[in-house]
Amino acid sequence: MTDPATTTGAHPPEPGLARRLIAKPEFGPLVLLVVMIAVFTAINPAFASITNIGNALTFTVELGLIALAMTLLMTAGEFDLSVGSVFGFAPVVMWAFFNAGILPLPVAFVVALLIALGIGLVSGLFVTRLGIPSFLVTLGMLLVVRGSALWLTSGFPQRTWDAGEQWLAEVLVGDFFIGGLRIYMSLIWFILLAITLHLLLTRTRFGNWIQATGGNPGAARNRGVPTKRVKVILFMLSSAMAAFAGIISSIRVSAANPNSGTGYELEVIAMVVIGGTVLTGGRGTIIGTVLGC
Amino acid sequence: MAETSADTPLVEMRHIEKYYGRVHALHDVNLTIRKGEIVGLLGDNGAGKSTLIKVLSGAVPYTSGEILIKGRPVSMTSTNDAIDAGIETIYQDSALVPQLSIARNLFLGRELCRGRVLGRLDQDRMNSIAGDLLKRVGISKNIPPTTPIGSLSGGERQAVAIARAMYFDSDLIILDEPTNNLGVAETQGVLRFVREARDKGHSCIFIAHNIHHVFQVVDRMVVMRRGTVVADDLSPKTSTIQDVEDVITGDHVAL
Repeated sequence: MTDPATTTGAHPPEPGLARRLIAKPEFGPLVLLVVMIAVFTAINPAFASITNIGNALTFTVELGLIALAMTLLMTAGEFDLSVGSVFGFAPVVMWAFFNAGILPLPVAFVVALLIALGIGLVSGLFVTRLGIPSFLVTLGMLLVVRGSALWLTSGFPQRTWDAGEQWLAEVLVGDFFIGGLRIYMSLIWFILLAITLHLLLTRTRFGNWIQATGGNPGAARNRGVPTKRVKVILFMLSSAMAAFAGIISSIRVSAANPNSGTGYELEVIAMVVIGGTVLTGGRGTIIGTVLGC
Repeated sequence: MAETSADTPLVEMRHIEKYYGRVHALHDVNLTIRKGEIVGLLGDNGAGKSTLIKVLSGAVPYTSGEILIKGRPVSMTSTNDAIDAGIETIYQDSALVPQLSIARNLFLGRELCRGRVLGRLDQDRMNSIAGDLLKRVGISKNIPPTTPIGSLSGGERQAVAIARAMYFDSDLIILDEPTNNLGVAETQGVLRFVREARDKGHSCIFIAHNIHHVFQVVDRMVVMRRGTVVADDLSPKTSTIQDVEDVITGDHVAL
């Protein structure tokens, strides 16, 4: 046994602050963000204007919500191509129920989220139980969900302007001004969820399992980590987040278009990867994703 | 804890049969491991070594037969069953997660948490236990427990995996090719850990293609060929490497 006092002395010298910062996976995207803002502002000063920042915060946040969940899923070594179509499908379901007078809005909201969870569950079970690659499963799911949205609406957008009097709409996308900057509630949701999922990934047992599942599935399984359950839960989370984002978007633009969200899956995956999460799994960072957005 | 009588074996496998579809992978395998011994498991490729240890570690189900741990029959249907029964398997490529720190790997699947509900990791405690453990197994003293496994050498990784098995007090540590791809000094280091584990009362099954490594460390050798055990009491003291190679290839039958 060595004397505990000697152990600290035996460590290599702590690297400097700058060096430690550079070694972080979030460093690259941060630099990119700063450079990008500088360059675009130089080209067109309106880029840094209050209005443009407000717009960027509104629109990117909706994609960012999906990217948060996708970060966890990709850290576990899978990805979900169906998020864009769920983004379009969930609000269509919610407004169809509400407009037909079948369900009050909050219940329709919960039903839409539950359906999204079910979509994630099905994708997750296909990937984990049948061993079909997530590329195929979620590509198929993309077509099925998009098709359902189009069939349900005959291709027409659902009206959402009745949302005005609903408290739920206020909670989700109500807006307020800070100085000249128009802020939507969705930004608050994004920040809260980003913090929660960051802590989940880095500080909890489940987060440890996510990283292990993507990093070395065999080792995780040998240690008794329920890798299949971890993946299924994350498929459900990313699907639910896509639905949540889609609903927010539908209220903000006052239309639930069955075609909205087309191509979002690639933008979301790009955000996650630019943020420093590796495509092959095992390493992921929520902070990076936030910067990547 | 009541000591099981000295002659009760730690693990006893009786008449184990395993079919993969129509492939007869294990044929009437009987294997006994006593407390505190290192058993070398030898055999050519496809002889059934890996199937046997996968059965023993709960990774694949066996078709028929019986497994007894300390004299009591157990059912091995998952890796958790095996870990609970005190059997820890260190696979060559799937023992550790390279992206996670040493401490997190040590406690993977057995994390220490503050509070049950949220599963918030008790990182300070895990790191300090891991730090002590690293010192005790004597891997270089200046590696902090927060280092990712990916930046360790092959020998250091084996050491971490063995340290983990010792920390969780596994009765039986199964090492699958632990000296593969290691340099000479690292191999000696790993062999030293295996001996240390034995001296602390852990039994080991040591699987390696390199018979020289096996000879340096084991108390007894078991040889498999074509899915069955053909010799189970070869001693490194009384047999030569040539004898053992002959048993592995089957040449001794022809003699």
